[in-house]
Amino acid sequence: MSDKVPEGPRVGLFVTCLVDTMRPPIGFAAIALLEAAGCRVEVPRRQTCCGQPALNSGDRAGAVRVAQHTIELLASYPHVVVPSGSCAATIRLHYPTLFDAGTAWHRRATDLAERTHELLSYLVDVRQWLPAGVALNARATYHDSCSGLRELGIAAQPRRLLAAVAGLSLARLEGADTCCGFGGTFCVKYPAISDAIVSEKAQAIEATGADLLLGGDLGCLMNMAGKLHRRGAAVRAFHTAEVLAGMADGPAIGDGA
Amino acid sequence: MTQPAFAARVDRALADPDLKRAIERTTGTARSKRAAAVAAWPDFAAARELGRDIKDHVTANLDHYLLTFERNATAAGAIVHWARTAQEACDIVVGICKAAGAASVTRAKSMLGEEIGLPHALADAGIERVETDLAEHIIQLAGDPPSHIVWPALHKTREQVAALFRAHHHDPGALATVAAMVASARRELRRRFMAADVGISGANFLIADTGAVCTVTNEGNAELTTTPPRVHIVTAGIEKLVPSTAHAMSLLRLLVRSATGAEVTQYTTFHCGPRRPGDADGPTAFHIVLVDNGRSRMLAEGLAEMLRCLRCGACLNHCVVFRQIGGHAYGGTYPGPMGAVLTPVLDGLAGTQDLPHACTLNGQCQEVCPVAIPLPTLLRGWRERSWREGLEPGVVRGSLFAWRFLVLRPALYRPATALALRVMRLFARRGWIARMPLAGGWTRHRDLPSPARQTFMAQLRQRRPSA
Amino acid sequence: MSDARSTILTAIRATLRPDRAAADPAAIAAAAAGLLLRVPPLRPDRVRGAAAEAFLARVASPAVGASAERIVSLAGLPDAVRRYLAAHDLAASIALQPHPELCALDWSGIATHPRIDLDEPVAVGLALGGIAETGSLVFHSGPTAPTLFAFLPLHHIVAVAAERIWPWLEDYAAALATLPVPRNVNLVTGPSGTTDIEGTLVRGAHGPGHLHVVLVDPAYHPPASDAA
Repeated sequence: MSDKVPEGPRVGLFVTCLVDTMRPPIGFAAIALLEAAGCRVEVPRRQTCCGQPALNSGDRAGAVRVAQHTIELLASYPHVVVPSGSCAATIRLHYPTLFDAGTAWHRRATDLAERTHELLSYLVDVRQWLPAGVALNARATYHDSCSGLRELGIAAQPRRLLAAVAGLSLARLEGADTCCGFGGTFCVKYPAISDAIVSEKAQAIEATGADLLLGGDLGCLMNMAGKLHRRGAAVRAFHTAEVLAGMADGPAIGDGA
Repeated sequence: MTQPAFAARVDRALADPDLKRAIERTTGTARSKRAAAVAAWPDFAAARELGRDIKDHVTANLDHYLLTFERNATAAGAIVHWARTAQEACDIVVGICKAAGAASVTRAKSMLGEEIGLPHALADAGIERVETDLAEHIIQLAGDPPSHIVWPALHKTREQVAALFRAHHHDPGALATVAAMVASARRELRRRFMAADVGISGANFLIADTGAVCTVTNEGNAELTTTPPRVHIVTAGIEKLVPSTAHAMSLLRLLVRSATGAEVTQYTTFHCGPRRPGDADGPTAFHIVLVDNGRSRMLAEGLAEMLRCLRCGACLNHCVVFRQIGGHAYGGTYPGPMGAVLTPVLDGLAGTQDLPHACTLNGQCQEVCPVAIPLPTLLRGWRERSWREGLEPGVVRGSLFAWRFLVLRPALYRPATALALRVMRLFARRGWIARMPLAGGWTRHRDLPSPARQTFMAQLRQRRPSA
Repeated sequence: MSDARSTILTAIRATLRPDRAAADPAAIAAAAAGLLLRVPPLRPDRVRGAAAEAFLARVASPAVGASAERIVSLAGLPDAVRRYLAAHDLAASIALQPHPELCALDWSGIATHPRIDLDEPVAVGLALGGIAETGSLVFHSGPTAPTLFAFLPLHHIVAVAAERIWPWLEDYAAALATLPVPRNVNLVTGPSGTTDIEGTLVRGAHGPGHLHVVLVDPAYHPPASDAA
């Protein structure tokens, strides 16, 4: 099933600002997976950030400007893929709300929204792709990041993909669908509340006895991994794409890249 | 960045281990019982859409339903009053009490009564107020405001309740179990029901086509509050209307399951006017105070969806922030996600702007809302307004401006991010940053993974120069 | 007061009807009726088979928390009450709802009084009907049905006729539309309770701690051992 499919779609990878700066391997994993699924991957060079910091801070005018930049950047790709539920949801759901209906920008935003997909759901739902020949001997647990889960309905796809990894077992995480307390700017604006939330999440992760924490959103993973490390826990965190691309034998998030 | 008063309330809440335990005991039970009730109803999602549509239909015809209700309630013998503000509503209620020569009033729990400040208004008028709902009785003894809209005494542990009853009840007994505490409150309040001159309650639904007021309760205190006194006063928000009893039934199924996980409350009551000729009991005068207090403004200012709210409390029980800080930290009558939308309406955005920001926008509140209120969207609306009105601190505005400047200029953004990575890596030890200037919000509580040596884009240029 | 009324209505209309068109009551009524057409297929799957059977099962379920029995005619109610009093070790004295059908029964051996006391141990009443979906008893207040009868006693024993069991909440709502609306309608579902302390359910808050439902069902054939 993972054999090269000729003449697959041209895909624009929007790698996200966090992956760009904090965890490049996720970007390379995304390229590898998309290519394995038969896509011709291009990475538009002028990409920066989807605009969530402005959007979530109430800076609508700022969000509009950044959205326009991204809409122009991604205008020519039949499909746009994003290795993050929250950034994909920003483009898919929130960009169209930034422009008045009936305007050219609203049409362009809606058009982009329809072409944009989160990586893991794209592989399963659009490309009907599952990994073959990937093995990892480990016990992992999975956290459903909220934007992907509730705004995009991503829950089954990452589990189907991970089930195809030989040797990997998934331990159920109590409260897997409960927010980890990241919330973008929330975690630095209200650090004490965020800490109380992520402390409970870290306890729940440790209680699974898993070696690996997996997820689909780097922001949430950094939050949980950072708390686990501060607590001295041995759990190592990876983006699901890294596991699927066979890159989980390298350093985990924070293990020195 | 945060308003000092909000920060202080949050710190106090987070430092209280009893509070955390108390919140989790009640909301944990509520979450699992709600989940079971929803799982047992395969068509819950369709029922929720119907509930939403019923409420939206009422909102879209609110003037019509208000007048229909007023006409039918008046025909049933009720006296209908209208109040634009909390002050007007309190003045009306106190005026009725005074005209009735009331020395003592009993009150059955009503969040609207709390919203308009009725407890204080009665105290200022020198009228004795007896709270008869068990939770309201507990917080009246403690001198606390409510901390949850369904369980106002949620912040009290059983040990704290026992201590309060031991100090205040005439015949507390051993109080070794929750059942013994409930029995002690029953003994304590029994006499008070019959001695009251006026009973005051709220409304879950106002039935337009009969003029009846529907309440849902479990303890039996509500009928003991509203039946014996000479005068019964209902205070109700103008959004509580439904077209008919049948419409109320559809909303009841959603409300009760979402609130407690039960299918119906023990008592579902419809009050329609005062005592009829020949009736064996009931008040001789029945007043309904219809309260606006910002609701017509919500309709006008993009918050119409919030007028669907049934006050079930599910959004509180499922909110990760509420579960950590409890109700009092919000500083308003209504806590949690629904409170973060409502409090800026009631108390003004300036001073309450933390509430819509102290939220991770995780969407679970909207998911469990029985009438599908898009709470995260409404909270985003408040954030935008706070930004427009200049309520966000200069440091936030400044850094977002600088961020935007770079994000829109990739040619500057690339070297800027490269520089930032180099600086950040100076603080990293074995892959982790434990402390770094300007990152205290993150590193006070957790470690920050060290950024990459080179950005993805820089690495990509080396690997795929042409792509 | 009328000032507040016109201010509120004006503000609402400014938003809802900026073109100053009047509300169309017929169109609104049609839309409201249309919403109710969606109800039957999405109700929780509660009532299967005969409404009276479903009602009895629901009343006695742990969620409702009442006890229930079935008798063939109302004349059997005093015996049911006697059995209940004996089983619960209660004195043979009851507050009897002043309803002519109840007063006409043979209460010999039980002292009855028509007024209810603040700390009444046992009251016996007659419900207007019941709702199978929820296991609720329906009470309409009136000259022979004081509201407080359902709230003051510790034990409340209630007779209800099987032919007055409505399958769904909406069926009761439809029946109500054909009846004079009383001052007070109470749908009573099980004994009173509270979860106000740590979410722990305790039965018997301010209202009754025990509710016993006696379904009067002429079609019922009691097993031979019960016939005595």
